[in-house]
Amino acid sequence: MARSLSKRIKTGVGAYMFLLPHLFFFVLFVAAPLVYGLIMSFHRWRLVGEPRFIGFDNFIRVWRDSRFWDVVKNTVFFAAISVPLTVALGVILALILNKKMYGKLWPLIAFVSPAFFGSIGILFSWDWILGSQPNALANYYLMKIGLINEPMSWFKSATLAWTWIIIITAWWIVGFSVLLYLGALQRIPPEQYEAAKIDGAGPWKRFIHVTLPWIRNVLFFDIARHVLLAFGLFDQVYILTGGGPAGSTRTMVYYLYLVGFQRQQLGRAAAISWYIFMIVIAFGAIQLALLTQTVRSAEVE
Amino acid sequence: MNQPRKIKRVRKSVLREAIYSILVWLLAILWFTPIFWMLSTSLKPTTVAVTENPPQWIPNPLTFENYAAVARAAGGINVGRAVWNSLIVAIVATVAGLLVAVPAAYALARLRFPGRGIIFWTYVAVLAFPPVLFLVPNFYIINQLGLMNRFAALILPGLGSTFGVFMLRQYMLGIPRELEEAALIDGCSRIRILINIVVPLIRPALVTLAIMTFLGSWNNFLWPLIVLTSSSKFTLPIALVRFSAGWGDPYRGIGSTMAAAFISVAPVLIIFVAFHRYLMRGISLGSIGK
Repeated sequence: MARSLSKRIKTGVGAYMFLLPHLFFFVLFVAAPLVYGLIMSFHRWRLVGEPRFIGFDNFIRVWRDSRFWDVVKNTVFFAAISVPLTVALGVILALILNKKMYGKLWPLIAFVSPAFFGSIGILFSWDWILGSQPNALANYYLMKIGLINEPMSWFKSATLAWTWIIIITAWWIVGFSVLLYLGALQRIPPEQYEAAKIDGAGPWKRFIHVTLPWIRNVLFFDIARHVLLAFGLFDQVYILTGGGPAGSTRTMVYYLYLVGFQRQQLGRAAAISWYIFMIVIAFGAIQLALLTQTVRSAEVE
Repeated sequence: MNQPRKIKRVRKSVLREAIYSILVWLLAILWFTPIFWMLSTSLKPTTVAVTENPPQWIPNPLTFENYAAVARAAGGINVGRAVWNSLIVAIVATVAGLLVAVPAAYALARLRFPGRGIIFWTYVAVLAFPPVLFLVPNFYIINQLGLMNRFAALILPGLGSTFGVFMLRQYMLGIPRELEEAALIDGCSRIRILINIVVPLIRPALVTLAIMTFLGSWNNFLWPLIVLTSSSKFTLPIALVRFSAGWGDPYRGIGSTMAAAFISVAPVLIIFVAFHRYLMRGISLGSIGK
C-alpha cells in the first residue's frame, strides 16, 4: 500500500516534469495576462507611474465614447459579411480542387499558399495594384473591360474601402479553410454519393444531404476560427487605409491599438479588450446557432 | 461493337477533364495575380514601373537593382538585417516551441497525474479566446520583465500557446499503446519512450506544427510592432512598413518595396510547395481530432 502510494506520487511528479516547461510559460503569458488584464481594466494604468484604482471608470468611459461604438459597428459589419463569405468561398474552392484534374499542384499552390504569406508583403502588393493612377493594374483592366469609366481612388470612400478590405481578406485567408475542407471532403465515402445519385438527387441535393452533414464538424471549427480572425482585423486597415476615410474603416483592434499603444492608456485598452471578448462570444454564439439550425433542417428534410 | 463505344466514352471524359483542368488553371493564374505583379514590379526600375502605360507583365528592361538596393541600408532601415532577425527569431521560436510542447502533449495524452483534466480543459478553453485579450497585459508583463525591444519578447510569449500541445496530444492519442507498453516492460524510461518511439510516429504532426510556428513568427506584425523600438531589432514585416514609409510618396520606392515584399513571400512559397502534403494531412487531422 505504502509502496504503491509512493509509486503513484513518483509517477505524478514524473508527469509534471514533462508538463512543467510548458506550464511555466502558459502561466506567465496566458493565465497571468487574463488575471492582469482584468485588474488593469479597473485601474488608471500607464507604463510608468503608480496605477490608480478607478473602479468601472474605464468601462464607463469607453461605453460613452461614440468612437468606440463606431468601431464596434464597423467590425461587426465586417465580420457579418466576411465570415460567411470566406467560409462559402473556402467550401467552393475545396469542391473545385476535389474533382479529378490534371496538374492539381498549381491550383493548390495558388488558392492555398496566400494564407501562409505574411500580411505586409501581400497588402503592399494589393495597395500597389489598387493605386489611384490610370496605369495602376486594377484601374487599367477595369477600365479596359468597361466596368469603370475613369481611374478610381479605391480607398477614398468608406463603401469602396470596405469592399476591397473584405475581398483582400477573403483572398488572403481562405486557403487555410480550403485545406480543412479538402481533408474533410476526402473522408466522405464515395458510396454515399452513388446512393444519392441512384435516389435521383441532383448536385445541389447531394451537396445538402451528403456533403454538408459530413463536413459539419470542420465547418463549425472553421466558422469559430473566422469569427476570431474577423474580430482581430488590424493589419489590413493599418496598411491600406490607416483607419480612413474619416475613421470609417477603424476596427476594434485598431481602436485598442490607438488607445493602448499610441496614447499608452493601458487600463483603458484592457477594458476595450474585455468588451471585444464579450462581443466575440455573443457574435460567435449567434453564428453557430444559426448554422446548427440550417444544418439540422437540411438533415431532417 | 462494345469496344469503340467504350473508347469514345473514355475519350470524352478525358476531354472533359482536360477542359476542366484548363479552366481551373486559368482561375488559379488570375487568383495569384498579386504575387505575379509583386515579382514583376520588383524586377523593373521604379521609374518604369510608375510611368509605363499600359502596365507590362514581362519587365523590359529587366533589372535586379531593387534587390541590390534592399540589401543596402536605406533611411536607417536595413532589410537584409531584418531578414536575418526574422530568421533567428522564427527558428528559435520553432525549436523552443517544439521542445516544450512535445513533452507536455505526451503528459496529457499518456501519463496519469492529479489535475490532468483541469489543465487539459483549461488549455482547450483558452484557444477560444480572442488573441487581442492578451495583448495589453502581455505588453505590460514583457515591460516588467525588462524584455522590451529584445528578441526574447518575440519568442517567449508564444511558448505558452496551447494550440501545439492540443494538436500533438490529439495526434498521440491516435497511435497504438502496445509499442510503448512493450518498451515499458523492457524497462525503458518514459523519456526514452517519448524520444525513440512516440516522436518518430508523430512526425507529420511535428512537421505541420513546426511550419505553422515558423510562419507565425515570420509573419507576425502587431506584436513586434508594439514591443520593438530600435531599427536594428526590426523583423521583416516591421522593416517593410518602415522601409516603405521612408520614401514619403510610397510609389517613389515601389520597385524596392516590392522586392522586399517578395523576399518576405518567397521562402513561404518554397516551404509550402515542399511540405504541402504534410500540411494537408497534419492540418486536417491535428486541428479537429478525428
